[in-house]
Parts: sequence; structure tokens; C-alpha cells
Amino acid sequence: MTWVGSGGTNRVHADIDALKGFHEALVRFRYAQRAVAERGDDEIEMTRASLAAKASHWQAQLEQRQADLDACRARSGATTDCSAYAWAVEQAAERLEHVRRWQQRVDTEASEFGGTASAFLDLLENDVPRAERQLLALIASLEAARRVQAGGGLPV
Amino acid sequence: MNTRPDRDGDEQLRLLDAAWEEAARYWRDEVARQFAADHWTPLAQQARAYLEALRALMDMLETAERETDF
Repeated sequence: MTWVGSGGTNRVHADIDALKGFHEALVRFRYAQRAVAERGDDEIEMTRASLAAKASHWQAQLEQRQADLDACRARSGATTDCSAYAWAVEQAAERLEHVRRWQQRVDTEASEFGGTASAFLDLLENDVPRAERQLLALIASLEAARRVQAGGGLPV
Repeated sequence: MNTRPDRDGDEQLRLLDAAWEEAARYWRDEVARQFAADHWTPLAQQARAYLEALRALMDMLETAERETDF
């Protein structure tokens, strides 16, 4: 970084402050995005658990309703109408299938998202700390130059 | 804090982008250009891609919950 002229001292102060501000923002960003990623993973797991509970509920409903239908058919003669039981079985089966399709979709899309997330988290863990170190070194060199400048020298 | 992680992530990226813009007002030499090419541009691009993918995923998860509430 270069600075010249009578306004050099003010200019380099602003330079250093802006770089320090960016460095601090970069550190905050790294930690904040880690937390964002963890919360994203939590959301995926919560949805998986919720869908699993719903699938379990409708599986149990299907079994219960099938048993009710079987009982109706067993106790009835040709004159008894078991269609309401049959409809209830069909409804439970459809809802169970619907939930299972969503389970599959969540698994597929979460897996695809994992690739993008992994690349970004790798950048956060490896490249961003390197960038932070580079900025710190630059800030240190500017502050050293400022001390020289304050002592009478004028870096160019 | 926003409810959804993707929105918090967007806000963090907005703050970082503003800090970069401020730094870039003063820092315009070859080192700055190299830093932008090596670090800033890839980070900003990947962050945007990640947050867009996260937004789509969060939308899908919300839809999954809604569509399976009978």
C-alpha cells in the first residue's frame, strides 16, 4: 500500500482502520457462517425426525384401520357395508406413501446440498484463516510504517 | 436473529461485503488486487452459492412439513 503527500498520516490511519474493520468482519463472518451451517444441519435433522414420526403414525394408522376393516368383513355378511373402513384404509395408505415420498425428497436434496455446503465450509476452515493472517500481516506492516512516519520518515 | 439460518447467513454476508467495500476504498494496489482474486472473489461467490442452496433447502423443508400435516 502506498501513500504520499501532506495528507499521508490521515490517509494511512483510514487505510489501517478500514483493513482492521474488514479483518474483524471476516473473523465474525467465519464464526457466524459456521453457526449458520450447524443450524442448517439441525433443520434437516428436525425435518427428518418429524417426517419419520409422521410415517410411523400413518403406518400405525394403516395397520389399525386394516384390522378394523378385516374385523368388519369377518363379522358381517353380505349385507354389511364396510366401505367406510375400506376408505379409511385407503386414506392411511395414501398419506403414508405421501410422507415417504417427502422423506425420499428430503434425503436426496439434503445430499445434493451437502456438496455445496462442504465446499463452502472447506473454504471457511482453510482459505479464510489464510486471508485473515494475510490481512493481519499487512496491518502490522502498515502500523510499523506509520510509526516510522511519525518518527520523521515518510514511506512512499 | 432471524428465524431461518439462510437469512442470518445473508445478513452476515451483507455486513462482510460492506466492510470489503470500505477497505477497497483505500486499498487499491497490486496486493489488494491479488487479495481480491485469491480470497475475496472466491469467498463471495461460494458464500452466495451456498446461501442460495441453503435458502432453497430451507424452503423445501418448510414445504415438506406443511405438505405432510394432515
